[in-house]
Amino acid sequence: MIELKNISKSFNNKEVLKNISVNYEKGKTNLIIGASGSGKSVLTKCTVGLIEPDHGDVFYEGKNFTKMDVDGRKEVRKEIGMLFQGGALFDSLTVEENIKFPLRMHSAMTEREMLDRVNFCLNRVDLHDINDRFPAEISGGMQKRVGIARAIALKPKYLFCDEPNSGLDPGTAILIDNLIKEITEEFQITTIVVTHDMNSVMEIGEHVIFIYKGEIHWEGSKDNILASDNKELADLVFASDLMKKVRKQN
Amino acid sequence: MGFFYSIGEYFILMGRTFQKPTNFALYRRQIIHEIDSLGLGSFGIITIISVFMGAVISLQTASNIDSALIPAYTVGYTARQSMILEFSPTIIALILAGKVGSNIASEIGTMRVSEQIDALEIMGINSASYLIVPKIIAAVFINPFLVVWSMFIGIFGGYMVAFLSGVVTTEEYIYGIQYDFKVFGIYYALIKTLFFAFIITSIPSYYGYYVKGGALEVGAASTKGVVNSSIVILIVNYILTQLLLI
Repeated sequence: MIELKNISKSFNNKEVLKNISVNYEKGKTNLIIGASGSGKSVLTKCTVGLIEPDHGDVFYEGKNFTKMDVDGRKEVRKEIGMLFQGGALFDSLTVEENIKFPLRMHSAMTEREMLDRVNFCLNRVDLHDINDRFPAEISGGMQKRVGIARAIALKPKYLFCDEPNSGLDPGTAILIDNLIKEITEEFQITTIVVTHDMNSVMEIGEHVIFIYKGEIHWEGSKDNILASDNKELADLVFASDLMKKVRKQN
Repeated sequence: MGFFYSIGEYFILMGRTFQKPTNFALYRRQIIHEIDSLGLGSFGIITIISVFMGAVISLQTASNIDSALIPAYTVGYTARQSMILEFSPTIIALILAGKVGSNIASEIGTMRVSEQIDALEIMGINSASYLIVPKIIAAVFINPFLVVWSMFIGIFGGYMVAFLSGVVTTEEYIYGIQYDFKVFGIYYALIKTLFFAFIITSIPSYYGYYVKGGALEVGAASTKGVVNSSIVILIVNYILTQLLLI
């Protein structure tokens, strides 16, 4: 479980996060939603230590990550997998080498064992025969799936996904959503997904956190969203005519 | 104020860069890759530039000798001294600052804006160390070889001038390049090369590592990396010359 307590962060005297406290439960898909610039990505980066919060603490299984030294954080980060918005695959490495990378850094596996793990991860994200291709030679959707494969290579306890569906067609986006949900349940991972894709919210939103102007404005599950009378949440989720019709029908 | 902030940030980055590596086996692979990319990839351009520098120095020296009191072998002597003391270590360093420096700043800058550096950090890897140390080690290792090659091929360029144009006989040229030779000149050049190799790799790495924004900012970081590393090379060249030769 990941616990955030009173997280605040400002940039150039502009308060981006205001006293945020939230728990991410194990084996659940936690979605952080909000409009662009609401602070979702900053909150995630504070959680994994890519940005230091001005105030507040982040706890991984009860251990204060914010107060840890470099070596302590390194140990926690070995248990974190992260899927970045653009995939963030290493351009100079093949797909296979990208997935082997964390294994080479942090495991004592032999080449054979690493190759087996790479193939397992690629199969898990439904990719085959692309081991020798470079990231530039595969599609955006495939890059995202390779990103997931790399993120789960070291069997992480925590999976962070930053806008996993951005730039993808609706079919591939649903495929990625389902993959994240399946992997979360299968490996009992604590998953945190940052998104403003409302299809994702309605597909996989077991625990939804709505950030508005740097604060948690609403928290619940996808089933509660339809019944919610939170105006700002409704404005975000039911912005399109299609979603408005869906809401009316329900 | 920004100037002092940048200097402080540069030294903090260097502090992070030289922390204990996460997995040295991976660094070894990277170092070999960088030697090939940064060093051997510059071999062709260094050869072309050096041979013409040596040739032009010989031609200019020959054309400026008016007095009969100045011996003809001065052409060879001047070509050797110019190549060993200044042209090979310093001018080649400036050329490498342009070629290698822009490459390093744009490579690391692109990794920053495409979140590849964040991905390294998330994997528990010291990204500064993993990305910068192999480049510094590779340049410090390979640049002395490039500079010695530049000296040799530059002096050969002068010989070709003597052979083809006849401004000085080849015998006189060879006598000139052997005249009053001091090995310390080579040591001096190689000491400078080690400092320049560090500058050429670390300063562009700094500009690439802290880039914010997109493609435009990566280009700007690349330019800053080249310009500032060139200026630092010239300043360090002056300081080292004062310390080692005077």
